[in-house]
Amino acid sequence: MEKSAWFVWPFMLGFMFALVVLLLRYLWWLRSLWRRPSSRLLSRMFSKHSLLAVREIFSEGLLHLRIYKRNRRLGFMHMSLALGWFMMIVGGKFETWFHSGQFLHGTWYAVFFRYFEPQTAGGWAGTFWLHYMDLGLLLVLTGLALAIMKRIRKRILGIHSSTRHTLVNRVALTFLWMIFPLRLVAEALTFGQHGGGGFLTGSLGRCCFSSGMLAGLELPLWWAYSLSLGAFFVVLPFSRYLHIPTEMALIFLRHWGLRAAEDLQPEKALQAFEIHACSACGLCLDVCPAIKDHPFQSAYFLRALRSGKGWESLASTCLSCGACEEACPINLGLEKLRTAARGKIHEKHHAVYSYLPTVAPVETSRVDVLLFTGCMGRLKPATTKALKDLFEEAGLTWVHLDEQESICCGRPLSLAGRAGEASALREHNRNLIQGQQARMLVTTCPICLKQFRDDYGLELPVYHHSEMLWYCLRAGRLKREKGTACFSYHDPCELGRKSACYQAPRELLQSCGTLLPLEREQADALCCGNSLGALSLSLSERQALTSRTLKVLEVSGAQSIVTSCPLCQHNLARQSRLPVRDLAEVLAVTGLPEQHGQRTAALAAVQEL
Amino acid sequence: MPKPDFGFAFAPNRALDLSAPLLPEVQVVLETEPSIRACMACGQCAAVCTAGAFTPLAFYRLVLQLRGGDVAAVGERARHCMLCGKCQMTCPRGVNIRNAVLLMAALAPPKP
Repeated sequence: MEKSAWFVWPFMLGFMFALVVLLLRYLWWLRSLWRRPSSRLLSRMFSKHSLLAVREIFSEGLLHLRIYKRNRRLGFMHMSLALGWFMMIVGGKFETWFHSGQFLHGTWYAVFFRYFEPQTAGGWAGTFWLHYMDLGLLLVLTGLALAIMKRIRKRILGIHSSTRHTLVNRVALTFLWMIFPLRLVAEALTFGQHGGGGFLTGSLGRCCFSSGMLAGLELPLWWAYSLSLGAFFVVLPFSRYLHIPTEMALIFLRHWGLRAAEDLQPEKALQAFEIHACSACGLCLDVCPAIKDHPFQSAYFLRALRSGKGWESLASTCLSCGACEEACPINLGLEKLRTAARGKIHEKHHAVYSYLPTVAPVETSRVDVLLFTGCMGRLKPATTKALKDLFEEAGLTWVHLDEQESICCGRPLSLAGRAGEASALREHNRNLIQGQQARMLVTTCPICLKQFRDDYGLELPVYHHSEMLWYCLRAGRLKREKGTACFSYHDPCELGRKSACYQAPRELLQSCGTLLPLEREQADALCCGNSLGALSLSLSERQALTSRTLKVLEVSGAQSIVTSCPLCQHNLARQSRLPVRDLAEVLAVTGLPEQHGQRTAALAAVQEL
Repeated sequence: MPKPDFGFAFAPNRALDLSAPLLPEVQVVLETEPSIRACMACGQCAAVCTAGAFTPLAFYRLVLQLRGGDVAAVGERARHCMLCGKCQMTCPRGVNIRNAVLLMAALAPPKP
């Protein structure tokens, strides 16, 4: 290598350093797999799953389609940075290959190709690569301009909050931002002095850098480009930019069937890859109901897990409403991570349920519905009563499973990270259900619904009462006439985001009145503030969240707020100006106008007395 | 000093000396979940308790016992809680009962 080309060394050293550190970290994370290689993983490795992973890397790692669907400007920013850089890496390889006829070169040769070969062989292919590389660079620079704009005025990119980065991340960001403008100037100057170049670098060189006085600047600029690249690679393994390689590895591992552990292991297996694949893009910030009060959003939580400091309080104050998981563009299992973290905090907690009575199997006649109202159902007898009235109206037979002795379903323990401790509760409830002959299990609590569906492995289908009532309405077993009532509907987190049930409650309300559109609803709905996920959020903080949610719900024209979760109903009703009712109550009342009349008459009679 | 007559009597073992220093493990619990201090032993939590229907579990009693320093008994009893959160929903003082119970249950010696 000639002496003038020594400027490639900062880049090469940084690049090698990053490679070695990455390799060591990945090998450390995957240590358990070397000891016990799973046959499933090996068989999936050489199958279509790898191709599917490559497709996902292309659509999410490069094109960032999920971000694009949420926010076009932000999606374009991520896409132009990633795709532009990728185009340049691939183009660099092909260009050197095309030019020298050799496929293998030192990595530095492609990166600083223009310095070594300012005037490449002509022909259409040579011209194509020149313009192609310039297009890649232009794309990255567009992304960079948007990224800088995002730092100055977030609103232009259509977001309200962006991640506050730590020092090391800001340093890495600065080096990253320096790389591409320096490359542009260095290439333009080389082309300006020696001629040639594509539509961007060539034109810039001809118009600005053709003066002979600037010739002495050529080498320093290439040095600066190499230094910023090298410095970026040195900080990469210790900054959020570790997400670039880790996200790709994560996608492969997921497609090969690796699943995250239930307990917290931030430096082991898939969980390590998940924690380090977060780019802190900030999509989890704006959707968080507590963004204005607390820094427990996933970007910060994962950062705390990476550093090993401060994750405890972030895990136990978060509401687990699931909004960040819904918004995460790389589908990280954030809820699972949070419960794992809570489990780690309370690993000394153990539960003893030996006092529970044993359930004797009961042989009953076949009924349509097994009704489970859960713990919270006992606090809302009006909902249970209304639902039973509706069953009666629909001509359904039912057994109320926990009318006498109610046992928790186990999900509250799971949300606190103590799922293993809940096995005795699940066993008790399973015995309660197994003796019965019924077509379905219906619960009025979305928390129970989720637990019964996911963890009980029941033979009979489990429905939330809104799904069940909607089924009755469609089948003509319930008949409702559209009244004048105007409702705003609150989506409970556990029913909406966690169980993907949005349509049934809406159809039911539309059948008997008008459902008002809200600023944030369905997957974007805010948490009521009473989620069982949060363990140490104080009452005043919960109340602040509730009032924010109520602001969304109390739209003009709304006569009542309707929800389908006893926790949400209880909590919203405490602070709401409007009456807050359960779906079943609304449906039971609106269907019977003559009864409503009777009630008004009775009330009037009482007042007369 | 003669005992003052309040017009009622109580067993000495149920008296709570608020000026007595707290045990270090009790202090840790109270510092980790400060809302426990807001408890006024009204008994709402016990009235709605799911586990309380089967076993004598009452959160307000746990708080009193904790203050009294009966750590082992608190830990044993707190393990019976199902963490359903009904008590927290009805608590007029906004005590984070679920977190408190998780901390209290950890006070008992580990399961054999």
